[in-house]
Amino acid sequence: MSQHINKIQQAIVVGHHKEIEALVQSALDDEIAPELIVNAAMIPGMDAVGQKFSTGEIFVPEMLASAVTMNKGLDLLKPILQQGNSETKGTIIVCTVKGDLHDIGKNLVVMMLEGAGFEVIDMGVDINVENLIDKVKEIKPDVLGLSALLTTTLPEMAKVIESLKAHRVRDQVKVMIGGAPVDEAFSEKIGADAYGKDAAEAVQIARQLIAG
Amino acid sequence: MNSAGYQLFMSAMFKGQKGERPPTGTPTSIACHDLMDATGVSFPDAHLNASAMAELALGGHEIIGFDTVMPEFSVDQEVAALGADVDWGDRNMMPDTKSFLYEDFSDIAIPDNFMEEPSMRVLLDALTILRRHVGGSAAVIGKAMGPWTLSYHMAGTQNFLLQIGLGETDKVRKMVEQLMPVTIASVNAQFQAGADVVVVADHATGNLISPIHYAELLLPYHKELTRQIDGPTILHVCGNCTDRLHHFCEAGFNAYHFEWQVDAREAVEIVADKMVLIGNVNNPQVLLQGTPEDVYNQARYAIDAGVEIIGPECAIPLKTPLENLKAIVAAVQEGY
Repeated sequence: MSQHINKIQQAIVVGHHKEIEALVQSALDDEIAPELIVNAAMIPGMDAVGQKFSTGEIFVPEMLASAVTMNKGLDLLKPILQQGNSETKGTIIVCTVKGDLHDIGKNLVVMMLEGAGFEVIDMGVDINVENLIDKVKEIKPDVLGLSALLTTTLPEMAKVIESLKAHRVRDQVKVMIGGAPVDEAFSEKIGADAYGKDAAEAVQIARQLIAG
Repeated sequence: MNSAGYQLFMSAMFKGQKGERPPTGTPTSIACHDLMDATGVSFPDAHLNASAMAELALGGHEIIGFDTVMPEFSVDQEVAALGADVDWGDRNMMPDTKSFLYEDFSDIAIPDNFMEEPSMRVLLDALTILRRHVGGSAAVIGKAMGPWTLSYHMAGTQNFLLQIGLGETDKVRKMVEQLMPVTIASVNAQFQAGADVVVVADHATGNLISPIHYAELLLPYHKELTRQIDGPTILHVCGNCTDRLHHFCEAGFNAYHFEWQVDAREAVEIVADKMVLIGNVNNPQVLLQGTPEDVYNQARYAIDAGVEIIGPECAIPLKTPLENLKAIVAAVQEGY
């Protein structure tokens, strides 16, 4: 069993997207539980990818390839997992704030969160406050993740938090923020719950926020 | 030496004679709301109308006191001329490419007359206007997108970077190679229109790609690019590029415009006499959110480190206060 797990994990870490389906199928054929493939191979694989990104060992292209590899493997498992009642590790809404069209950082966060087993609702880019509040009320996520690349759009993050308060839902959702111009001081200033410097840290923070 | 900003800047571009103070330089956009209000010119006019573009750029010299003028406030002039659908934004929003014409990496068709398309004509005319107004007193800087950045706009940034991760490097090389003539034509046309120096913005950015991939996939094209360009050039690449500075030195650009994330002292040590350094006052924390004193201190740090030309690290945030930009000028006025 551990050989299957190791091979799948390694394929994700190095982004061997052409091999992953055969590896996952082989593991399923040998009656390894899909939950185990996800929890013992895929999530630790993506954690390792995040760690390598944080330390500058790999860059965005390698991280994207790992995410593509994981998604291909996950596509094989999803129909089986959905037959059971596998629990998600929490629900997270993610978006790039109003006025900002940049999505690579946000997409990496989405991929890493999905790789870590969270249910992620990706609202996309340039999302206005009203739509976001409606979605929070509808989905009732555990965490709301806000991204911005432009310094011009930083004030939008503060607006979202103020609006959550005005709609009396601020205490129902944890807010984490990130993006190139964002830092810890800004996060504290606007009253966010946490700041993540990259996609890997976003996963750690989401885990901590949900664990309470 | 005459202390007019033009002479100080041009001399520094060639590591020549020093004047009584370091020059300031602004290879990327210095458009902000305060400057728009002071000049009476706003976005999107400053992207679409040559007179408006020149007027806003001129404000950087006449109102703030920078030694250079640079009229391109977006990264979209070339891609618009190549046929991409560009949203030119508004006073509060920078332009953005709405569609990617070559997501499938098929052969790129470059129109013969793309330099005559409105978005390029505006830039060339603005450079000519600026040359007439400030030639000899401020250096006129043009700006062109390098083939790597153009590829982001043609294929979509994430899609382009993914191909590298998937090992499809032939696709990447082919696209970069096909877009080389666009950058070369744009740069040379800008010299002919009146630019003293042209910045080539090519975002092989720290964190986005590795230094190894820069060396393998882009450096050969940068070497070819600088061979085919007629005048002095500045390379602009954002992010922390400390790990690839030694590669930039091989590319043939006269100068490198860099961010605060690269420590000025370390940069001077690595680059030594191979390139001129321009930068590197931090945008988000200092120019936008800091005080004039914070800006002054960072500019003085760069001067003391040996950075030849002082300016913001990248296109400034639209809400940057004018006093903070003036603090850069105040810092250089104190001399070396």
